[in-house]
Amino acid sequence: MDLTLILTSSTLLTLTILLTPIILPLLSNSSKNTPTTITNTVKTSFLVSLIPMTIHLYSGTEGLTYLWEWKFLMNFKIPISLKMDFYSLTFFPIALFVSWSILQFATWYMASDPHITKFFTYLLLFLITMLILIIANNLFILFIGWEGVGIMSFLLISWWHGRAEANTAAIQAVLYNRIGDIGLIFCMAWLAYTMNTWEMQQLSSTHQIPTLPLLGLVLAATGKSAQFGLHPWLPAAMEGPTPVSALLHSSTMVVAGIFLLIRTNPLFNNNQTILTLCLCLGALSTLFAATCALTQNDIKKIIAFSTSSQLGLMMVAIGLNLPELAFLHISTHAFFKAMLFLCSGSIIHNLNGEQDIRKMGGLQKMLPTTTSCLTIGNLALMGTPFLAGFYSKDQIIESLNTSYLNSWALLLTLLATSFTAVYTIRMTTLVQSGFVRIPPLTPMNENNPAVINPITRLALGSIMAGMLITSYIPPTKTPPTTMPLNIKITALLVTALGIILALELSKMAQTLIIKKQNPLHNFSTSLGYFNPLTHRFNVTHIMTGSQTIASHLMDLSWYKLLGPEGLASSQLAATKLATSLHSGSIKAYLGSFALSILIMIISTY
Amino acid sequence: MTLLHMSFYSTFTLSCLGLAFHRTHLVSALLCLETMMLSMYIALTMWPIQMQTSSQTLLPILMLTFSACEAGTGLALLVASTRTHGSDHLHNFNLLQC
Repeated sequence: MDLTLILTSSTLLTLTILLTPIILPLLSNSSKNTPTTITNTVKTSFLVSLIPMTIHLYSGTEGLTYLWEWKFLMNFKIPISLKMDFYSLTFFPIALFVSWSILQFATWYMASDPHITKFFTYLLLFLITMLILIIANNLFILFIGWEGVGIMSFLLISWWHGRAEANTAAIQAVLYNRIGDIGLIFCMAWLAYTMNTWEMQQLSSTHQIPTLPLLGLVLAATGKSAQFGLHPWLPAAMEGPTPVSALLHSSTMVVAGIFLLIRTNPLFNNNQTILTLCLCLGALSTLFAATCALTQNDIKKIIAFSTSSQLGLMMVAIGLNLPELAFLHISTHAFFKAMLFLCSGSIIHNLNGEQDIRKMGGLQKMLPTTTSCLTIGNLALMGTPFLAGFYSKDQIIESLNTSYLNSWALLLTLLATSFTAVYTIRMTTLVQSGFVRIPPLTPMNENNPAVINPITRLALGSIMAGMLITSYIPPTKTPPTTMPLNIKITALLVTALGIILALELSKMAQTLIIKKQNPLHNFSTSLGYFNPLTHRFNVTHIMTGSQTIASHLMDLSWYKLLGPEGLASSQLAATKLATSLHSGSIKAYLGSFALSILIMIISTY
Repeated sequence: MTLLHMSFYSTFTLSCLGLAFHRTHLVSALLCLETMMLSMYIALTMWPIQMQTSSQTLLPILMLTFSACEAGTGLALLVASTRTHGSDHLHNFNLLQC
């Protein structure tokens, strides 16, 4: 029994099954897609993708497929090569499972949308391009997937394109992703020039790679994974429908940047500058996003900032030279984050479009399943022991505490962990418990299997996934085995501190006193003043700079002042001066006469 | 130089400047021209006395003759220009056309 053949064939079968709803309507006029067929396609694909994952877990088989070679230049050929290794084979079932649940949820959420089939087709296209990105063996195919997910993100964020904020958010997403793409293209160009290849296997080199192309990779990850500096698009992307937020901006697309860094890890795991840069950037991102999430009132924005914060944590794991832990966190995070988004979608739809948590409350009795799964998701997010988030998050924090690193990064990450607990508890208490603040006549019904089944399935995943993955995958790097007690329970301690703080603050906030403004609260509410500062300053300076160069320097200065017209104007001035003597007036004539007489008289001395 | 010499120089210079920087009338220019001639006449007269060369006593008389001709010409021009331009205001005159 040739395991490699089965592995490769079943992976390609997975991809082909996903392509079926796109290709079949083009071939025959009678087959039309419906949301149900697309959901069933993804479900079938998920079930098929379990086969290669099981084979890999059982025997460690890895596969590599060359499909076709593009003879680009004589000595630089770009093959379509797909790599089925641990990362891609493990991520396929996870991504497909989450997508299946989200698509099933979307049949209920988008039921009143007239173009629901187009929506599902977009989601399917996104999924295909994301899987292409995951399974790519060379940077060219990865770039195809990269751009594909960027485009689908744009189309899906602006799904309700009649809304101006949605269009703005989509353009913002595309622009920030583009800035990251510059870094990726720069790195690809350098690699093509120096190593004449884009294959992942040939990427590790013996000599030290210069820092600049690796900075390009970090820039690409910053753009796609919303690290600090290129982060504003992620909260703005919440303008899209909730299934879009659940699929793209929590589990799959935003991890593409981190996945790129995981794949190209051999390039920079001996370059301490890049590792420290990743570490500090990740720590800053996670703290900044957690600070901004503290004062948000829109439930989707809280979860969006939470995603941004967890992405920072993944970047920290990469900075610690532990890409496997980053991948583990990607996998577990997908489950509970998608579930959080689906729960919020259920709440929003049941409250008839209300997204402000100040107008929710006491939903535990009215939406029991949704709120229970919301609690499970929040507990998993906080890193409650032995839920899914614990296995990855606690390992990362333990490694942080026992590594030789920048203590500022450590401090920021620990602070962000406690802030995670704070905003999570805040969201939970304001949404589920306490007094009811919703309008009285709100008919709620969550008893649709299209809502309950995905959410409970993902809840099961959030509970079991961490344990399953860590028990079946032995670690490639030795985790720290002994550490003092207070280091070991640091994550739990800061989380518990956060919970106590949040509960205390919520008790204070039950009194209806409007608190005075103070600078810290303003900083958190206005998202760190980042958006108006960069969006105005950068654009103004670039535009004035380009106006100076193009218009002032070129047109006005070189052509008018110093060039042809300048010559003309200086000649004109001299001529005007000289022609005043030619007017024929006796006065000027006699004036020149007097001048010559004076010169003559003076010269006799 | 002596006081005498300085008076010749200053008269000549002042009347030159007066010729050049008159304001309105042509006749004042002609008067300045006469002053220039006068100062030159007196200077030429003083010269043979100081140098004791009596043969050059003729020089001022010659100059006076030509000065008279020139004064006559100037006055004729004045009259002619008054005929054509209506007055002797200098800003009516143009070197480039009559």
